[in-house]
Amino acid sequence: MQIPRHALILLGLVSLLAASMVACTLVGPAGIALLSLQQDGSGATILYGVRLPRVISAVLVGAALAAAGAVMQGLFRNSMADPYLLGTSSGGALGAATAIILIGGASSWVFAFAGCMGAAFLVYGISRRSGRVPVEQLLLTGIAVSMFLGAVLSFLMYVSGESLHLIFLWLMGGFWNISWQDTWIGFLILPAAVPLLLLSREQDILALGEEDAVSLGVDTELLKKALLGISAFLTAIAVSIAGSIGFIGLITPHIMRLLVGPGHRVLIPASMLAGGTLLVLSDALARTVGNEVPVGVVTAFFGAPFFVFLLRRRYAS
Amino acid sequence: MIDLSGVDLEYGARLVLSGVSFRSGRGEFLGIVGPNGSGKTTLLKAIARLVSPARGVVLLDGQEISNFPAIALSRLVGLVPQATAPGFDFSVREVVAMGRYPHIGMFGQEKPADREAIRRAMEVTGTTPIASRSVREISGGELQRVLIARALAQEPAVLLLDEATAHLDLGHQVSILQTVRDLSRRIAVIGVFHDLNHAAHFCDRLVLLHDHRVLALGPPAMVLTEKNIGKAFGVRATVRVNPLSGRPVVSPVLESPSGMTRSLHVHVICGGGEGAGILSALHGEGYRVSAGVLAVNDSDYQTAQALGIPCITEPPFAPISGCSLANLELVTGQAGAVVVTKGPWGSGNIGNLRVLASLDPERIILVDSTPENGGEWDFTGGEARGILDSLKRRGARVVMDVPSVSASIREIEGGEW
Repeated sequence: MQIPRHALILLGLVSLLAASMVACTLVGPAGIALLSLQQDGSGATILYGVRLPRVISAVLVGAALAAAGAVMQGLFRNSMADPYLLGTSSGGALGAATAIILIGGASSWVFAFAGCMGAAFLVYGISRRSGRVPVEQLLLTGIAVSMFLGAVLSFLMYVSGESLHLIFLWLMGGFWNISWQDTWIGFLILPAAVPLLLLSREQDILALGEEDAVSLGVDTELLKKALLGISAFLTAIAVSIAGSIGFIGLITPHIMRLLVGPGHRVLIPASMLAGGTLLVLSDALARTVGNEVPVGVVTAFFGAPFFVFLLRRRYAS
Repeated sequence: MIDLSGVDLEYGARLVLSGVSFRSGRGEFLGIVGPNGSGKTTLLKAIARLVSPARGVVLLDGQEISNFPAIALSRLVGLVPQATAPGFDFSVREVVAMGRYPHIGMFGQEKPADREAIRRAMEVTGTTPIASRSVREISGGELQRVLIARALAQEPAVLLLDEATAHLDLGHQVSILQTVRDLSRRIAVIGVFHDLNHAAHFCDRLVLLHDHRVLALGPPAMVLTEKNIGKAFGVRATVRVNPLSGRPVVSPVLESPSGMTRSLHVHVICGGGEGAGILSALHGEGYRVSAGVLAVNDSDYQTAQALGIPCITEPPFAPISGCSLANLELVTGQAGAVVVTKGPWGSGNIGNLRVLASLDPERIILVDSTPENGGEWDFTGGEARGILDSLKRRGARVVMDVPSVSASIREIEGGEW
């Protein structure tokens, strides 16, 4: 009885995502009539060269952030956790800013990726005590490292001179200069998410508490290492493509948990589908109604009030 | 099966337990008791390998538990932790099913044997009716039963319980502990208990922890002595034998709240258990209390003994001797107040009442002696009734319950000043 319900929800989410992708490919400042595509070369160029990579990238980034958010919330047993908890967002920003200042922004995504992963490793390394990593320690270290990296970033911005504008644009995040190259990198997200599905039963047990998990035979230290590594990787890919976009990774798993329950086997694919849908719709809104406002503005504008609504509803019950 | 030798446990730099050695095996229900902070839970966690000993070893079937792979250990040792609020809305059945993880493993699927184990565990713990509810919606007691079911589904060879029945109502406490005890005929069960009487009732042996070490280890009757309880818990307690089970029953003795003592001497004429509440209350309020004449097989005598109240006594089933009667006359003559509990009165104890005739009735308190209450109480052919009626006419106080006894004594005490 339970499995068909979940299958149905997943099917619904797949359809929703597909419909959103089609719709978002077709809307944009340059109106394209589907039927005129064959005659009009510029329409096809916009569609294949601009909109399609942008739509696919948004879906992949949304899915990555939502998956990482779901994993982090389970790991920290806290539905307020988000993918940037390990300092990945400020690490990525610092990496990108360094690239912009040193080499004028060439391959800034590599630097952003390295910054993300570096920050995550730093947080993990600092939290580690005789082979164990307590999650409270991770949480607090993540905050401290984020603040420190944020300070370094502010300093860089202060001394960056003319590059300040570029750094600022990067920080706001978005998909306006997406190319197929970014999209191909984004496809790395899919294989990276596979182990998360395979580890769903272990994540369920860990979500109930670490000691419970140990006494049920879960190798929690290894599991935490794997989950943190994969989440950091997913977040790093997302950040290196589109900067740090907020709220998708926080809200999507939250809503999906209300819909499909906390079991990770369904929660993770559901979050990925919904995260992709939400981000592709937000981006469409950003580039049409918002006149290319950074997509992070859109997600925060709708995400924050919705989050408050969820919180109030939860405390009311 | 479980074998601890010379185990030292530390929490950070703080010593929790030192030199713990005991063994327990299949067919035994071992209880761990001790005051708060004595390291009961830490000891249990050491057996579950959740904390590692600073020194010493924990053996499972002759092998150090630190050598077991995590999954292999979890097939052998199951732990029921103290219930804490779960963070997510897993259903009761989902949580119980997690107990099968050690058998299913990483990439396995639930097999019929797993489903059967889950079903049985839920049935035994009475969690079947709440199977689809969220573990965040159920009560603390229900959650505790769910965690017990999870450990039962694990089908371990050693079951560890950390105050597993602390939040349960009496019915569930008894049924769960009964189940666990039945189970302990086939596996080893080690449980931390807060309630000494539950531990005494259900466990085969007890480990009493105090002052960072094992204070006593053995059958409940040997461990739960008044001396050990006084030492470990800093409280005076009486230990009696439960007539239904033969197991010890521990009751704390109420001391007068501020250690206050009063000068008034109160003598209590009682018997057949009618005096226990009064003796205990007056003793607790700090009066100088005496009792008698009592036969030494009377439960009131045991109460008086436990409280350290001096008694005039006779051997079992003997009538009151002239010597005791003289003693009673002396004591009641000096006492500031005399409390007489309700009968029954017969030829063996009527002497207790005859003495009253010569006393000032204003100082006599009769408890619940009205004939309407209860059945036959006068087996002396009317003599007891006659004495009591005459006392009432002459102004003896008649009260119905223990608080009124205290109140009347305060009045008498006030009159003295």
